[in-house]
Amino acid sequence: MSAITLSNVTKRYGAVQVVHGVDLEIDKGEFVVLLGPSGCGKTTTLRMVAGLEDVTGGKLSIGGQVVNDVAPKDRGVAMVFQNYALYPHMTVRQNMEFALRPLKLGADEVERRINETAEILGLSELLARKPAQLSGGQRQRVAMGRAMVRTPDVFLFDEPLSNLDAKLRTQVRWEIGKLHQRLGTTVLYVTHDQVEAMTLADKIVIMRDGYVEQVGTPEEVYSNPKTSFVATFIGSPSMNMIDARITDGRIEADGFSHPVPTRFAGRVTEGQDVTIGIRPISIELAHADDERALPATVEVTEFLGNEALLDLRVGTHELVAEIPAEQRVPSGTKTHIRLNFDLAHFFDAGTGRSLNAE
Amino acid sequence: MAYIRKRNKKIFGIFLVPAMLVLFLTTIYPMLYAGYLSFRSYDLAKPFVPRVFVGWSNYREILTSSEFLHTLIVTAKLMAMTLSVQLVLGVGIALLVTQKLPGMGVARTLLLVPMMISPVIVGLVWLFLYFPELGYLNYFLSFLGVGAIPWITSTNWALWAIAIADIWQWTPFVMMGTAAAVQSLSPEPYEAAMIDGNSRWDVFTRVTLPQLKPVLVSLMFLRAIDAFKIYDIIFVLTKGGPGDTTEVLSLFIYRQSFTFWRMGVGAAASFVSLVIIVVLITLFFKSLNRDDYA
Repeated sequence: MSAITLSNVTKRYGAVQVVHGVDLEIDKGEFVVLLGPSGCGKTTTLRMVAGLEDVTGGKLSIGGQVVNDVAPKDRGVAMVFQNYALYPHMTVRQNMEFALRPLKLGADEVERRINETAEILGLSELLARKPAQLSGGQRQRVAMGRAMVRTPDVFLFDEPLSNLDAKLRTQVRWEIGKLHQRLGTTVLYVTHDQVEAMTLADKIVIMRDGYVEQVGTPEEVYSNPKTSFVATFIGSPSMNMIDARITDGRIEADGFSHPVPTRFAGRVTEGQDVTIGIRPISIELAHADDERALPATVEVTEFLGNEALLDLRVGTHELVAEIPAEQRVPSGTKTHIRLNFDLAHFFDAGTGRSLNAE
Repeated sequence: MAYIRKRNKKIFGIFLVPAMLVLFLTTIYPMLYAGYLSFRSYDLAKPFVPRVFVGWSNYREILTSSEFLHTLIVTAKLMAMTLSVQLVLGVGIALLVTQKLPGMGVARTLLLVPMMISPVIVGLVWLFLYFPELGYLNYFLSFLGVGAIPWITSTNWALWAIAIADIWQWTPFVMMGTAAAVQSLSPEPYEAAMIDGNSRWDVFTRVTLPQLKPVLVSLMFLRAIDAFKIYDIIFVLTKGGPGDTTEVLSLFIYRQSFTFWRMGVGAAASFVSLVIIVVLITLFFKSLNRDDYA
């Protein structure tokens, strides 16, 4: 049985519809990330699951029970907020105690749960402190602790790492992943950061303008993006997108022409406008005498250590290539590149749908 | 450069003179003169009799007189009555008007009106309302089956009559300060409490009130300082009567100085009042400096 099920869930504020018919199955113990740019409806979806927003249409179930009209407190969920939402006047211990009050547990049990959670999160030394005396990372751990002590069926995370600096973000991200392995609780996690999504998720739900674009494992959404939006949103640096048209069995783009790869043979039609998606890693430097080589100008070279990024101008196209650092050439160099069409993605230019095989 | 700065300082000084002059003439000089008078025997009815130095005798007289102590007790009683009701009502109304309900913006503005009226006018308005036979208050109370209450003529009711007028005028002040504080509270802890299932009472007593405490303490001190000096409303409504039921400190000072013409005693009582207010203000600033969230 699924832990959480959304069937055709919609959300509307007056005349504005912000979530359009979301369908989603979350299995027990699964770590699911809602990913998308701001305004895509991911936080609204999470808040509907929490019960902080009403569901306008569709059906929302938690643990097999329809909860559209169930109060937040009766949904068996606990939430960790972006800005921690700690009670500023209470100590760390009191913050956790207050979350336990509605459960009406015995003093011993309260004590045991707080100490155990504090132990797991490394908060034992900080129990007597107030939020103002803690660092951002510590506050985030207290917020998680406050959710954990209640041993909920589902954890909801609303961009929990956005207020942390880059280094701390990596560390807390790792801690959240480890915690999920240890507790095995179902997690629904909202973020706009694809790295968080890729590293933490069992399943990623990519949203855009209130619609679900794709649901899949990190591997699937990276290797097999179903739309050009998913293709450009996942992966860093972003996938290069080139407008082209199918003419006489060839891909004709501004500045180059290439036979349609055999695996797309039946999938494209004559005269169709397509978008070619090529990851930076699928562009390599080539010799001028290579028949498929395209002349390119290196506008900027960015050295990243192991690899280097080249900002290239190829005809009218601006492309980014990721190459081994030792092959890099200085900015301003005129060189040749080759696009690896075996690893390319094709999208219909009109619908943005992938033309790749499933 | 240094020259210009020096010159500027002189100009600043010149611009300050009128304000300083007013301050000196209306506040500092009268205060010093009252200090001087408090050690003299000075009968305003006999202005040409020399003002003899009498040492601490004016202070000794008021501090040992039961009449003065009585006014202090009346003042304290009135403060306790008005402040407690203003606190409860002010916080209650503030919580109501900060709800996202239609008409709350208008309600909030209208509720501020009493605060903007001069206390003498407030006194007059309530004088009409309290009028035993013709007053509106008793008229409306008669519908509830309550007999005519001698609001300002009975020793049982007079202090309450004054308290009610003061509460009516100054509850909006507490409401406004509290509402501003309520709106500055971040909403997320409330959402967290909602998901965790904390009861409304728990959330109010353990989340809202503790966070409002610093503001409420400040508001109560400001009200206390003001209430301690209450004069206008009482002067209009009861003039301290019946008997001395509503004789507060300010009225005592007024009576000593301008009814009995005993300026020395009046000045000494003023100084005692000043000391009490300075203590209140000091406590107020101390409460401001305390960091409640550390």
